[in-house]
Amino acid sequence: MTSMAQIELEHVDKHYGQFHALKDINLTIPKGSFVALVGPSGCGKSTLLRSLAGLESISGGTMKIAGERMNGVPPRRRDVAMVFQSYALYPHMTVRENLTYSMRLNRRPKEECEKAAKDVAAITGLDELLDRYPRQLSGGQRQRVAMGRAIIRDPKAFLFDEPLSNLDAALRVHMRKEIRSLHDRLRATSVYVTHDQVEAMTMADHVVVLRDGIIEQQGAPLELYDHPANRFVAGFIGSPAMNFIDAAVSETGDAIVLEGLDAVLPIDRRLQPGRQVKAGLRPEHLRLGAPENSSIRLEIAVVEFTGAASYLSSATDPELTIFHAGRVEVKSGEVVGVSIAPELVHLFDPVTEERILAQSGSE
Amino acid sequence: MAHFWSSIRDSRGFDALLVWLALGYLTVFSAFPLVYNFVISLQTVDLFSLASFDRPFVGLENYREVLSDPVAGTVLWNTIRFVVLSVVFQLLIGFGLALFFQQDFPGSSYLRGLFLAGWIMPALVVGAVWSWILAGDFGVLNYVLRSFGLIDENIFWLSDHQVSLYSVIIANIWLGVPFNMILLSVGLASIPQDLYEAAELDGAGAWQRFYTITLPLMRAPLGAVVSLGIIFTLQQFDLFAALTQGGPSNASNVAQYWSWQLSFQTYQISRGSVVSVLMIVFVIGVAAIYTRSTRYEQNY
Amino acid sequence: MKKYILLAFAILFVGIYLFPLYWMYVTGLKAGSEIFRFPPTFWPQTLHFNVVDIWVRLRMDRFLTNSLIIALGATAIIVAVGTGCAYALARVRSIWMDVALFATLMMQVLPSSLMITPIFVSFNMVGLLEYPRLAVVLAQAAKLLPLYIVLCRTAFMQVPRELEEAALVDGNSRMGAFFQIAVPLARNGILVTSVLVFLQSFGEYVYSRSLIGERALQPATVGLQSFMGPNTSDWSGVMTYSAIYVTPILIVFVLLQRRIVSGLTAGALK
Repeated sequence: MTSMAQIELEHVDKHYGQFHALKDINLTIPKGSFVALVGPSGCGKSTLLRSLAGLESISGGTMKIAGERMNGVPPRRRDVAMVFQSYALYPHMTVRENLTYSMRLNRRPKEECEKAAKDVAAITGLDELLDRYPRQLSGGQRQRVAMGRAIIRDPKAFLFDEPLSNLDAALRVHMRKEIRSLHDRLRATSVYVTHDQVEAMTMADHVVVLRDGIIEQQGAPLELYDHPANRFVAGFIGSPAMNFIDAAVSETGDAIVLEGLDAVLPIDRRLQPGRQVKAGLRPEHLRLGAPENSSIRLEIAVVEFTGAASYLSSATDPELTIFHAGRVEVKSGEVVGVSIAPELVHLFDPVTEERILAQSGSE
Repeated sequence: MAHFWSSIRDSRGFDALLVWLALGYLTVFSAFPLVYNFVISLQTVDLFSLASFDRPFVGLENYREVLSDPVAGTVLWNTIRFVVLSVVFQLLIGFGLALFFQQDFPGSSYLRGLFLAGWIMPALVVGAVWSWILAGDFGVLNYVLRSFGLIDENIFWLSDHQVSLYSVIIANIWLGVPFNMILLSVGLASIPQDLYEAAELDGAGAWQRFYTITLPLMRAPLGAVVSLGIIFTLQQFDLFAALTQGGPSNASNVAQYWSWQLSFQTYQISRGSVVSVLMIVFVIGVAAIYTRSTRYEQNY
Repeated sequence: MKKYILLAFAILFVGIYLFPLYWMYVTGLKAGSEIFRFPPTFWPQTLHFNVVDIWVRLRMDRFLTNSLIIALGATAIIVAVGTGCAYALARVRSIWMDVALFATLMMQVLPSSLMITPIFVSFNMVGLLEYPRLAVVLAQAAKLLPLYIVLCRTAFMQVPRELEEAALVDGNSRMGAFFQIAVPLARNGILVTSVLVFLQSFGEYVYSRSLIGERALQPATVGLQSFMGPNTSDWSGVMTYSAIYVTPILIVFVLLQRRIVSGLTAGALK
């Protein structure tokens, strides 16, 4: 990946009247990378994307695309392509006309448009459909036309606004791979907005987690999974969601006492004894074992099987969810033992919700 | 200047330009006459002072004269009867037809649409047709009423001062029914069918379903139809012109027709504008209540 | 079975409601003497076509031409000025747009018969009454422009905003997106509303009666009114005149009935 920046945002702010939608956003997107903006609805991810397209104007800061300042530049002069959630295919135009709309606006010769339409149709598998109207296409085909309309532009950046959310689950998984492999072939800078962290994790090189107009954390997908910067990111990334339990550091400083569970968990760093913390335990990191050999003993309330995996919920307060690959012989009401490797215990400050770094610098 | 053009091509300037084009037109040809109307009503305007800018200012004198005119009381009472009876019967007949056509039978939506044929006709032609139907000696309505034994002698609908207002009301109800029916049909269509099914499972009979589900959920459309009915009824002019011309001796005269008569038949233009000002204030009041009460319920 | 009973009743209701139209046509076909028969005949005993006679004698070509000029003129102004406004009011959400919309709704309800007094006085002062048909066109356009804006606005609101945004990102300007995306996709609503405005103006009476004095410039409504006079006895002629006048309107209505209903109800009914 080249290190040249294709999109640079510096101190970007956006207000809607009283509402502060984007707060001091700083983000650099290298040329050719695939960046996902992810967060709950209302977090500002779509606003950020629409600001990049020029469909919203920003209230402060600077925005550059390919080194050029874009503040106040209308969408048509930005040379970016966008794939909309609803696909936004022009219903009164055929697939061919939809694909070549931007070229025709630029008064490119007819033969050139035709050739480009053919090429893009071949890439996206639309060869047979060029003369159809959008209403005659299936959901997946419409999705491909929307992609094709972006590809034909050869733009400075691709912007995706939750493009898969209108597809059914199976098609969504398929299109996910297709978009990613298309990106690997074209190597165009892509910004992808989604509320689905699985999409973000599987598709992107770089994930940006937003909440309430603030970037909570950004980095490679596994970096976010392994080292969430705060409780919000820890809870947002990963499925099923991380368990959070109030805890206190033991007198020895190298273990925590889980409140309400009467359990002591060793940790891989040394903290001030007695300090209150929030412990984060991922369901898939909890290992089942015999009660007498485990650090946590739990009564199980509900066991759910999906066939490939089992989900166990405890009857305790706070409730713990345990993910177990394969099947388990556990029944509701049974007491089981659970343990976790010390290096997999995440610790957060209960007040600031920030990740607690090891005092010894072992991390 | 370059900034101005780019604003019009690419941003808010474009919307502002489009809105101002229309609002500008309306300001010149609607809002200005509205204000000017008020000015005229404070001046003496007749055929002699019509063309001059410098007309004598008389304050509220015109209002005093109009309100003390004995015709004013008749006209006011006629206007109230005209509006109330028209709106009530348009609503009852329109609602009944809307409920009827809501049922599932072949051709229901096509036949319902045919009612709009009455609404789309020029009101003056409707008036001409009704004045023939209502004719005293040879009118078909008298014949129908006599053959059903409802009357013994022909009613002189248009020239009898006791019934002439009702003849205009009848024609106006005929004109207003389609619009009422269509608007109420929209309201009925928006009530989810499963509400009725749930009520039926709960043991509600047809009448109970109507009283407990249809009527409460139709409150907004019914309110809209009543407000719009008042507004449209106060716009009705052509039927009076075609049927009774307000006569005999003002027996069927209403405010909107009287205003025109004062201005264009007796050339007491300032008096005509007084009636006009008073009525416009009333119409706009009704419209403002209607608009405010519906703005959260529909998309405009 | 129940469905067909309902259908029979529905046809009966439509029949009763549309009886005045039937009566207009039948009377127009009756001879002068048959008209004054009591009890009246519900089907003419001798067919009597006086269409040509009425058309020529009353110079209906002149009246209808004037009606057409007024209707076309008013519709042209309304479409040219109102379409963009309807679009902007549908797209932009702001306090100023709400104010503009409210003002439009208020101007929609002003009765012609009440507005004519100030319009007459002010048009007279600026000399517009020298061109009486133009004066009627201008006044009538102002009367129906708000209605057109309100109905067209709902048509534009049904065009997804994302389509225009896609066009902007694809390289179009706001103006280009308006003409190439929004207008073509709202054209059904625009068309139906224009037809409604046209038909309303084709039957306009108050302004024409008050502003046009010269007989040769009057539209068909005013012509009909003076034909009827205070004590007419030529009802066959009046009904023939009416039939000639409204038949084109009814034909347009029958052809566009479904679209008119769905345009009036924002697609809620077909």
